[in-house]
Amino acid sequence: MSNVLKIKKGVEQGANELLKFLLESEKVKGIFTLRKMNENGAVSYSLITHPKELQNAVPLFPLMPVNAGKILSGFTLKKAINEPIAAVLRSCELRAFIELIKRTQGSLENFLLISSTCGGVYPLKSLTDGTYKEQVSQYWESAKNAEISSDIRPTCAACEYFIPQQADMTIAIVGKNDLQQECSIFLNTKKGEEFTIGAPGNIVSEDIDTKETAKLREKRQEQKKKLFDELEKNGSGIKALVKTFAACLSCHGCSKACPICYCTLCDFDSKTHEYLPSSHEIELEQKGGIRLPPGTIFFHIGRMIHMVVSCVNCGMCSDVCPVNIPVSTIFSKVGDSLQKLFDYLPGKDIEEPVPFGTYKEEEFTEIGE
Amino acid sequence: MTATQIDSNKMPTKGAIVSAEEGINKTIVDIFKKSLEKKCFDAILIPVRVPETEAYAWVLLKDQSLLDEANPLPPIISVQGAKALRSLTKRGKMTQNIAAILRPCEIRAAVELSKLKQIHLDNISLISIDCPGAMPLSDYLADPEKSKKIYKNVLEKWGENNSVRPVCHICNRFSLPSLLPRKSEETSPVEQDEANLPSIDLHIGLLGGNQEKIFLIPVNPKGRKILEELELKSDDSLDIWQTKVSEVQDKKEKIRKEFNLELKEKIEGQEKLTAMFNECINCHNCMRVCPICYCQQCFFDSGALTLSPETYLSRSEKKGALRFPLDTMLFHLGRMSHMVLSCVSCGVCEDACPMSIPVAQIFSLVADQTQKSFDYAPGINKEEPLPLQDFLEDEFHEVETPKEVN
Amino acid sequence: MNEKIGVYVCECGPNISERIDIDRVLEEISSAEGVKVAKKFGLLCSNDGKNYLADEIKKEELTHLVVAACSPREHEQTFMNVCLEAGLNPYLFQLINIREQCAWMISDKEEATRMAIKYIHAGISRVTLHKPLLKKELDSIPDVLIIGGGISGIEAALCLAGKDRKVYLVEKTELLGGMVKKFSELLPYQGSNLAVIEEKIEQVQNNENVEILTSSEVEDVRGFLGNFEAVIKSKSNGSGTKEIKIGAIIVATGFKLFDPKNTPQFGYGKIENVLDALEFEEMSASGKILLKNGNPPKSVALIHCVGRNEKGYCSKVCCLYSIKFARHLQDKLPGIDVSEFYSDLCLPDKADQDYFEEAKKKGIHFIRADDFELKEKDGKINVEYKAAGGKKDSIAVDMTILAPAMVPSEDTSKLAEILNLPLDETGFFKEVHEMLDPISTPIEGVYVAGCALGPKNIPESIIQSQAASGKILSSLIPGKKIEPEVKVSEIREEFCTGCQTCLSVCFYGAISFDEYKGISVVNEAICRGCGSCVGSCPSGAIRSKHFTYPQLYREVLQALR
Repeated sequence: MSNVLKIKKGVEQGANELLKFLLESEKVKGIFTLRKMNENGAVSYSLITHPKELQNAVPLFPLMPVNAGKILSGFTLKKAINEPIAAVLRSCELRAFIELIKRTQGSLENFLLISSTCGGVYPLKSLTDGTYKEQVSQYWESAKNAEISSDIRPTCAACEYFIPQQADMTIAIVGKNDLQQECSIFLNTKKGEEFTIGAPGNIVSEDIDTKETAKLREKRQEQKKKLFDELEKNGSGIKALVKTFAACLSCHGCSKACPICYCTLCDFDSKTHEYLPSSHEIELEQKGGIRLPPGTIFFHIGRMIHMVVSCVNCGMCSDVCPVNIPVSTIFSKVGDSLQKLFDYLPGKDIEEPVPFGTYKEEEFTEIGE
Repeated sequence: MTATQIDSNKMPTKGAIVSAEEGINKTIVDIFKKSLEKKCFDAILIPVRVPETEAYAWVLLKDQSLLDEANPLPPIISVQGAKALRSLTKRGKMTQNIAAILRPCEIRAAVELSKLKQIHLDNISLISIDCPGAMPLSDYLADPEKSKKIYKNVLEKWGENNSVRPVCHICNRFSLPSLLPRKSEETSPVEQDEANLPSIDLHIGLLGGNQEKIFLIPVNPKGRKILEELELKSDDSLDIWQTKVSEVQDKKEKIRKEFNLELKEKIEGQEKLTAMFNECINCHNCMRVCPICYCQQCFFDSGALTLSPETYLSRSEKKGALRFPLDTMLFHLGRMSHMVLSCVSCGVCEDACPMSIPVAQIFSLVADQTQKSFDYAPGINKEEPLPLQDFLEDEFHEVETPKEVN
Repeated sequence: MNEKIGVYVCECGPNISERIDIDRVLEEISSAEGVKVAKKFGLLCSNDGKNYLADEIKKEELTHLVVAACSPREHEQTFMNVCLEAGLNPYLFQLINIREQCAWMISDKEEATRMAIKYIHAGISRVTLHKPLLKKELDSIPDVLIIGGGISGIEAALCLAGKDRKVYLVEKTELLGGMVKKFSELLPYQGSNLAVIEEKIEQVQNNENVEILTSSEVEDVRGFLGNFEAVIKSKSNGSGTKEIKIGAIIVATGFKLFDPKNTPQFGYGKIENVLDALEFEEMSASGKILLKNGNPPKSVALIHCVGRNEKGYCSKVCCLYSIKFARHLQDKLPGIDVSEFYSDLCLPDKADQDYFEEAKKKGIHFIRADDFELKEKDGKINVEYKAAGGKKDSIAVDMTILAPAMVPSEDTSKLAEILNLPLDETGFFKEVHEMLDPISTPIEGVYVAGCALGPKNIPESIIQSQAASGKILSSLIPGKKIEPEVKVSEIREEFCTGCQTCLSVCFYGAISFDEYKGISVVNEAICRGCGSCVGSCPSGAIRSKHFTYPQLYREVLQALR
């Protein structure tokens, strides 16, 4: 059971009211959230410091142009912020931010973290093919009914961790059939409670886990299984990998969009992977033919090894892939299995260290046998 | 030196006409199979279809059987050919002789990269081909069968429809031999063949062949030698090809001019240009697929632009709100200022943009204008130094005296 | 932060204190972050001032020093030395120019004070990001390479060898002496006897400190002051090459004459008995002044300024040597009629005026004219001209001697490339500053002397050779360590992709390419820290050690607050 702030406005308006309250009361110096860029649905994360600009804030808009966790990490890379800022981000974005902080790529200090139970986001191209308006209206219906919206990204349709961890406040959306009348803001931490003292609304007690959220979770788990099984359609093994990554351009866009990939110069972009012509010539001799640029699949496997233990399944990698390879699904599948092995859920607990950086004597003993 | 004007007197006049009864693709592939047999080359670099998929990948091959699925002119550009060459020869020269069959824009990009020491062209025979353009990547991926059908039509009709990518539709550099550096009027046509500074040895002409024949056009003695070794006579007249190329060239020049005028209207001024990039999510895909963007780490990915939180806050306070990721326009304009003089309008940037921003069209427009003011045509002349690496005392006098401001 | 910045504002006598409200400046800046102390002082560059600063650094245990005073060109080094002696790394220091850039420029005191405060704030922001760069030391080679064995080269060789320096004297032809050896005599007040030149040549040949390499040319030079390597190619000895190591280089490659064939109106090469000055010197030296037909000339025209309009400069020496020729002709062939055609008379030295007056007294005609046309007519040379005043006239003479412009010698541009030296519009080597630094080049340790820098007479050449030698003797002391520039550029290997753009814009040749690694490398000893490479690198792989992005950004940001 937690304390819940109820604002007597529809959920979108209620969220804006909350933000307005936080900024105008000067409890925070700025609000980090999605903002409308034009009338065609383009939205962008923004740091808003004037209440006037909050008019254009759309904190719960079902589109994710970039993983906000990556942004907040860049924001606090050099040092922590020195003024309180409220940041509104999705569950996966928050989890990514936590995973980055575990690797000293940012700081939580002075952030008031606001999240929501997430109904998912639409593909980026719905902005450019004009379908977003229709989709957005559909979104609220589906969320209300704890159903998966039909055009939502496959990654989101398969996401079971839509209830955020580590947030100071969570705006409840999924399964809330009073979405149009009331905005429920769960105050998960002391900080959340302190910052909302004097906010317009009343406090009640509720549980964030409901029958509806459980229902959605089940549906999503089903989708996940379906999605993962689809991957097998190409078979398994190297041949399947080649087929799956046949169109890969080695653009490395997936890596750059990924919040967990934080290296300033990725090893796969560095000189380590630039070979002498003689190496190519030798391989050419041996195999009769070599694909150029080399290392298409090597890059993916390497990247996987480096980051998949913290993969939060945010799906940005698939979003930016120019050739529609289901990178996110592939990486989540492996990520899922690996994380289960370590009994580790990325972003759940900031105190929990990343498995690759820790050593436990008593584990994986079965391998020794 | 601007090499966009075409003068048929400067184009190669003789070559080998080869019958293409079995289809253009097969004809070309057979020729290269033969070239491997006859040891004209040790290996060939050509796009090959990945088995059981509709995707194309660059393959450097010795094994002839791999040529079965090769296609010198696939319906799409996957990896820009110059990038493939760069991954092969950045760190040094090939010791084996390679033939690389690339689209004109890919060859030009490769020449630019060689000026930037990113590609060693030694022992590489660049072979170009008349190119009608490529299909938009996203269309192709959505429905490869449909795109392939359209492309077949494109190859036949050549420029009569605009189902190819916008930058291909307006491309006026689709046949490299027409762009080889001009020499003075005094030298006779024969000498010009020799004097041309070729980045290519051989050109495969398709225009004017009506899908029934192709033209193998040697551009220099090495090209002629290749034809000899292939047991092909190189003294057939290229009149029909020349005529058709001129015809299409004229058309394209017109189309390009009109298109650019319209585009200029749409993007002129800070507001309009910024609006064009409203949907940009700063993924930097455009930079990453661009062959000319060669930096190990892009300046705009480096920590140079990372600031302290206080700075972000104060910047936000100045305007009331600060958009993230920051510096979208800075990235695009910065990248533009770094590479646009070498931009070959290949359009892979636009293919890679997840938000369908017309990056290639915008950059090509700016490229045209800036390259003109330096009188520079990228990738045509191997010896012509890059404008930014070359200092000429006698240029841009027009900017020396400030204009009167009324 | 735990910085202790000391900010000191110099009153600069009245220069700054009159135009800027220093007390208000101190008030404003003493509250800036990191500032421990902010004071003013009368004249910081004076001995008192320097001692004061040194004391303050020690007393206040300063971690950084900021001085607001004059231009860094004036006293940056002065205050850096103070830091060094007081135990503070001299690079943790910033000199803010509030004199030339504020006090002397802004007349309104309010505005000047406001600007001064801004600049100082910006400087304080920047200085905290400075790195304590360390000076390096290299062993220097005291030997010297002299390119050119004419009178300039010989003089320099004697000056340097006389002070026990090893000198390599490289001469393209087989003999030493250069142009001077072709002369039949010098000007009388220069001691007409050429024997003095012969003596010098002999001295240099007998000096064991001088290694003479005739029939040799410089093929390549690498390195920097105190540490050059040169490759000398010998045309004799089966064209072998020799590599030498020296610490400094003097370029003394002299001149050649403008080819009068380029000014066809003088008939050179077409009409018989039209000679140029050097040909006449040779003829004089042989003792027999004769026309082509074997007879001595009865009339001679000397035409000055041949090629002057084409080249755009006056060659300084021709008027005098033409007068010398005229008087020599009169001495050797009494009764000869001599006319001198000039456009302006150049008589700069003390004895020149008298020399000229005497020549006039001796009946040599001086005619101011231009627009020449020489034609063959009846076995004589008809010299048509337009006299000053506009009247066209002509005279018929047996022989004409042309005084062509002095132009740079044959391989000047090739040598300029090898040494990375600039040439000016006339094609001669370009000095750093015509007035204040007339024999230095932008490359430290490389000097130019004599006619290689431009037309001049023998005394001037000797002066320049002595000057170059003096500079070398005082800066390149045996056993002395060289301290190259510290504020250089550096290339981060992982980020360099070997495009060599930086190499192509580096004026000093300080960047080379490592073929194996495929990256560019900065030679920190030659780098002058100009930053051109930093601007040219699109990825930012090359950075300046003392002008980093954070430093510049912080400074500008603060200035714009």
